[in-house]
Amino acid sequence: MSAAYSKRALSTRASAHHAVAAEKYLWVVSLAGIFFVWETIVRLGIVPGSKIPAFTATVATLASSLFDAQFLTRVAQSFLNLSGGILIALALALPLAMFAGLRNRLDVAMTPMIMLGGALPDIALLPVLVLLVGSGNAAAITIAAFSAFFPMYFTIREGTKDIPKDLFHVAAVFNTSRFDTFRKMILPAVAPQLFTGLRLAYDFVWEIVLAIEIFSGVAGIGSYISGAVETGEVTHAFAAILAVGALAIIVDRLVFGRAEKWMRRWID
Amino acid sequence: MDEAVDRLSYQMELRNVCKEYGQTEQSITAIQDVSFALNRGEFACVVGPSGCGKSTLLKMAAGLDTPTSGEIRFCGEPVKGPHPKISMVFQSFALFPWRTVAGNVEYGLEAHGIPRAERIDSVQKYLEMVGLAGYSHLYPKQLSGGMKQRVGIARALAVDPEVILMDEAFSAIDEFTAETLREEVADIHSQTQKTFVLVTHNLVEAVELADKIIVLSSRPARVKKILDVDLERPRDKTHSEFIHAHKSIFALLKEELETTIARRKIKKIPEFEKLSDIEAES
Repeated sequence: MSAAYSKRALSTRASAHHAVAAEKYLWVVSLAGIFFVWETIVRLGIVPGSKIPAFTATVATLASSLFDAQFLTRVAQSFLNLSGGILIALALALPLAMFAGLRNRLDVAMTPMIMLGGALPDIALLPVLVLLVGSGNAAAITIAAFSAFFPMYFTIREGTKDIPKDLFHVAAVFNTSRFDTFRKMILPAVAPQLFTGLRLAYDFVWEIVLAIEIFSGVAGIGSYISGAVETGEVTHAFAAILAVGALAIIVDRLVFGRAEKWMRRWID
Repeated sequence: MDEAVDRLSYQMELRNVCKEYGQTEQSITAIQDVSFALNRGEFACVVGPSGCGKSTLLKMAAGLDTPTSGEIRFCGEPVKGPHPKISMVFQSFALFPWRTVAGNVEYGLEAHGIPRAERIDSVQKYLEMVGLAGYSHLYPKQLSGGMKQRVGIARALAVDPEVILMDEAFSAIDEFTAETLREEVADIHSQTQKTFVLVTHNLVEAVELADKIIVLSSRPARVKKILDVDLERPRDKTHSEFIHAHKSIFALLKEELETTIARRKIKKIPEFEKLSDIEAES
């Protein structure tokens, strides 16, 4: 919304250039506002510092945690749980969803079953899963893969179905091999939906990975947070939460930001 | 022996091509006994009412679909699938939106395994031919319909085919642009001497471009008439000869159209159904 607005402003009035540049960094102002309110609430004693540490204290702890090997290991473990799960889900969802999108009969046979699986509540499955695979990182990766699979399956399937028939005709007329049809035609054509699915999955999976780490004590930043809360080191817990948030945003910008930039060049 | 030589001399030949859809019990005939032959370098237009199956016919010629019976031959050989020397232009342009203008034109060359350096030269050559030399880095979304179709034509030409099949290639473009594009296609045809087959429902377009017009009936598609257009090129639509040719072709078609309508009316009376069937067979 704001991007579309700023684009229009750019093309119509050159003088609005500075205003547009300012608008682009408006989020910095709002973020600073939130941090200011947070700091003030704690400083004025509206909320006791033992329950919620001040913003500055949290940042200070986070800064020292960045040199703490144990903290970094925990963050890395969570990130591996998350990425492992997403990669497994992608490896399964991509071929299945594409075949379902290309072959109607397969779609009719398979998709209702997958819908049923997607309707199962992920969080409720946690205890059952722990019973099956134990409460190690394998459990975290499995549940991450499980929750990542469904959004990716459905978006990729839709994307494949939406490919215009004539694009397949183009591939066929020029005698494109099966592999090249996949690589040069189907894959780029579904890229927008693929990234939508990946992003949805990425958001879901962060939450589910933290949940299993907290509830089943799987090694990771989730269990680090719950451990810190239990031992009364609230500042450490807050620093970890802040770190997870920052990491999620950085990866989002690095992966999806770039993908978006590429797709904006050619999507109508 | 003579027949074999004869067949080879045709660039493309359709022999009793039929297309049926559905199960044998309730099959629908889309195309019935369509036969015609094209010489090398000829510009043929297949005209007929919308939905008569002319696009299906073109898809079969491209090897994208197979006839239920009958056969399609290219240089004497039966067409059994897409052929490297048969290329196609689509009504929907069918460009890859994630590829630039140059990337789209390059696609067919890539698929044919042509080395990169050679591809770049060809792309440049054919973009120049369609008047898009300065636009190679743009994406399809930045182009108008007419420019998109120029890319489609350059892509089809780039693989150096012998036959170019055009499926309603000018129908999704505004008339002003379409007119210029038709003139350019006529130029490209006389320059390259490739065989063109254009499917269209636009009769003026057919008279403007064609050496041969194949008129199809409404579903099931049958060959109504094959007309030769002996007008000099380049053709001027305002020239009296053009208008005369258009008039006489239109008169022929009108006759055909009227018999079709009359036959339809007869068909509604059961007693005459047999009569109209006999007429159709003859």
